[in-house]
Amino acid sequence: MTVLQFLEGPMFYAAFAIFAVGAIWRVAGIVRLGRKPDLAPPKGSAAAGWFKGNLRHFVPRGLFAERTWMHLLGGYAFHLGLFVLLVFAAPHIAFFERFTGLSWTALPRWGFILAAEFAFAGLIVLWVRRFSDPVMRQISDRDDHAGSWLTFLVMLTGCLALEEAHDALRALHMGLVNLWLIYFPFSRLMHAFTFALARGATGAVYGRKGMNP
Amino acid sequence: MATVPNRRATDEDGMIFMRRVLTLLALLLWAGGAPAQNATAPDTAAGGARATTLEDILARQKNRLKGTTQRLPDALREIEGRPVPLPDGDAGVPQLGTLGGASDPDLWRALKSGAQATPSSSTARGQLMQVLGEDWRLVRRQYLLRYGGYVLLGMAAIIVLFRLIRGKIAIRGGRSGRTIPRFSLSHRIAHWFLASVFILMGLSGLIILFGRPLLVEFLGRDLLVGRMGMDPSVIDTLKSVNSVLLSASLQGHNLFGPVFVLAWAIMVVRFMKGNFFQWADAKWILKGGGLLGGHASSHHYNFGEKTWYWMVVLIGLGMCATGLFLLFPMLSQTLVYHQAATLLHAIGAVLLIAVAMGHAYVGSIGMEGSIDSMLRGEVDENWAKEHHDLWYEEVTGKKADHANDPGGAEAQAEGAA
Repeated sequence: MTVLQFLEGPMFYAAFAIFAVGAIWRVAGIVRLGRKPDLAPPKGSAAAGWFKGNLRHFVPRGLFAERTWMHLLGGYAFHLGLFVLLVFAAPHIAFFERFTGLSWTALPRWGFILAAEFAFAGLIVLWVRRFSDPVMRQISDRDDHAGSWLTFLVMLTGCLALEEAHDALRALHMGLVNLWLIYFPFSRLMHAFTFALARGATGAVYGRKGMNP
Repeated sequence: MATVPNRRATDEDGMIFMRRVLTLLALLLWAGGAPAQNATAPDTAAGGARATTLEDILARQKNRLKGTTQRLPDALREIEGRPVPLPDGDAGVPQLGTLGGASDPDLWRALKSGAQATPSSSTARGQLMQVLGEDWRLVRRQYLLRYGGYVLLGMAAIIVLFRLIRGKIAIRGGRSGRTIPRFSLSHRIAHWFLASVFILMGLSGLIILFGRPLLVEFLGRDLLVGRMGMDPSVIDTLKSVNSVLLSASLQGHNLFGPVFVLAWAIMVVRFMKGNFFQWADAKWILKGGGLLGGHASSHHYNFGEKTWYWMVVLIGLGMCATGLFLLFPMLSQTLVYHQAATLLHAIGAVLLIAVAMGHAYVGSIGMEGSIDSMLRGEVDENWAKEHHDLWYEEVTGKKADHANDPGGAEAQAEGAA
C-alpha cells in the first residue's frame, strides 16, 4: 500500500469517522442543553423568530455594515468560494463518486480558478484582519489561527496539486484534509454547523417576545 | 567581456548535449530498422521489389548526409567555432539529425528566415518554433539567473552587514509610552493582504526561476556528487523533487497571480495619499536619511518609503501586465512577446523581492517601533518625532523635540536663538 493509498483509504475513513461522530456529538450536545421554560405569555412566534434570526444575520445592519465592509466581503468571498470548490471541483466530485456512487456536473476549469481566487482572497483578508484589528486580536486565540492556517493549507495544497501530475502533491493535500477533518469537531471550525443554532436560538428568543431578531 | 567565454562554454555544453541527443536518435533509428525490414519481407516473397535492407538505409543516409556540414546554420557554425564533430571513420559526414540527417539545418535555416512552424502542442498561435528561443534561453541562463542571484544574495549580504555595523536602530530616548495613530485598519489590511500574496508569489516564482539550477545543478551535480562524491543517482532524486516543486509552484503562481493584481490595486489606491515627493525629501536625501549624521526630517512617508511605494506601483504594474500576458497566452500572436514578458517579469520580480527584503528588515526587526505601525496602527510618540517629525507636528500640532538626537540639543538651541 502506498502512502497515497493509505491517506485516501484507511486514514481517510478514520478521519471522516472522527469528523462525523465528533460533529454530531457536539451538535447533539448543544441541542440537548435545552433552555429554561419562559413563563411569560408569548407575544410572537419563536419558530418564525428562529428562521428570521438565521436569515437576517446574513446581512449586517445599517451603519454596522460601513464599519465591517471588508470583513463582510472577505467572509462572503471565502465561504462561498470554499463551498463552490468543495462541492463543484471536478477532482472532488470524482472523489465523492468513488465512495457514494453519486456524481454531478463539475465546474469548468475557469470557474474553479475563479472560485479559488475568491476563496483565497477572502481567507487572507479575514486572517489579516484577525491580527490587525485590535479587538479581533484580543479575542483571537491559537484555535482561531490554527483553524485559519489549516484551512488555508488544505486549500493551497489542493490547488498546488491541480496539475494531477505528482502523487506526492495529492498525498500532501489528502494528509492535510485528514488532519483538518480530525481537528474540525474539537475546534471553532464547528461554526460551520453551530452558526445556525446560535442565530436560531437568538432569533427564537426575540421572536417569542414579538421583536425582530 | 567576461560573459563571452561563459556563453561559449554554455554553447559548448549545448553542443555536447545536442551530440548526445543526435547519437541517441541514431541509435533509435538503428534499432527501428530491423522490424521495418521484417515488415517488408513478405512483399519480396510475393515477387515484388527487392526488400530494403539495413545496408540500403545506411547507404542512403550516408549519401544524403554528404555535404551537410556546409548546410549547417550559421548560428551553429559560429557557436561551434570548429568543425562539426563527425562519427569515427566517416569523414565529412556528421551524425544523424532528428529527421534522418539532412532536414535539421534546412529547418533551422528556414525558421531563421522567418518561416513559421507550429507543433501540435502550441501554446501560441501561428508561430512557436523560432531561433530567437535560443537567444532567450541564453539570456535567461547566462544573465538572468546569474545576476538575479547576485542581486538577491547581495541584498541579503547588505542587510547582514548593516545589522552588524549599525545594529538595531533604537528609539532615541526610549519609548514615551504615548502613542499616536498612524495607519487605519484598511491601510493595514491592504498592506498585509499584498504582503501575504507577495510572499506566496515570490516563493513560488523563485522556485520556478532558480529551482533547477540550485537544486539539480548546484546542490546535486556540483556539491553532492562533484565535491562530496555521492552516487550520481542523487541527481535523479533531486530532479524528481524539483519536478514536484516546479509543478506545485507553477500552479500556485498562476492561481495567486490574479489575487496579487487585486491586492496590488487596493494597495496603490489606499497608500497614494502622502506618497508624492516633496521638498523635504531632497533634504532627507542630502542627509542620507539620517545615516550620514544629523536629523533627517520627513512627512508621513520619508523618501525611502515613497521610492518603495512608486517602485511597487510602477514595477508592480509591469509585473501585473506581463504576468497576465503570460497567464493568457492567447493574447499574443507571436512567441517573441512571451519571451520578452518572461524576462521582464523575472527582472521586475528580482528587483521587487530584493527591495522588499530591505523593507521587511527595516520595518520589523531592524528598527525599534516600526512594526507597531502596521500591527497596531499606532506608533510611539518618540518614534514619530525621530523618523517623521514633520508628520508628527502636522498631526499633533506640537513642535517635535529633537533634544535626544545626536547634536540635537545644540541644533535646538541654535534654532531657539
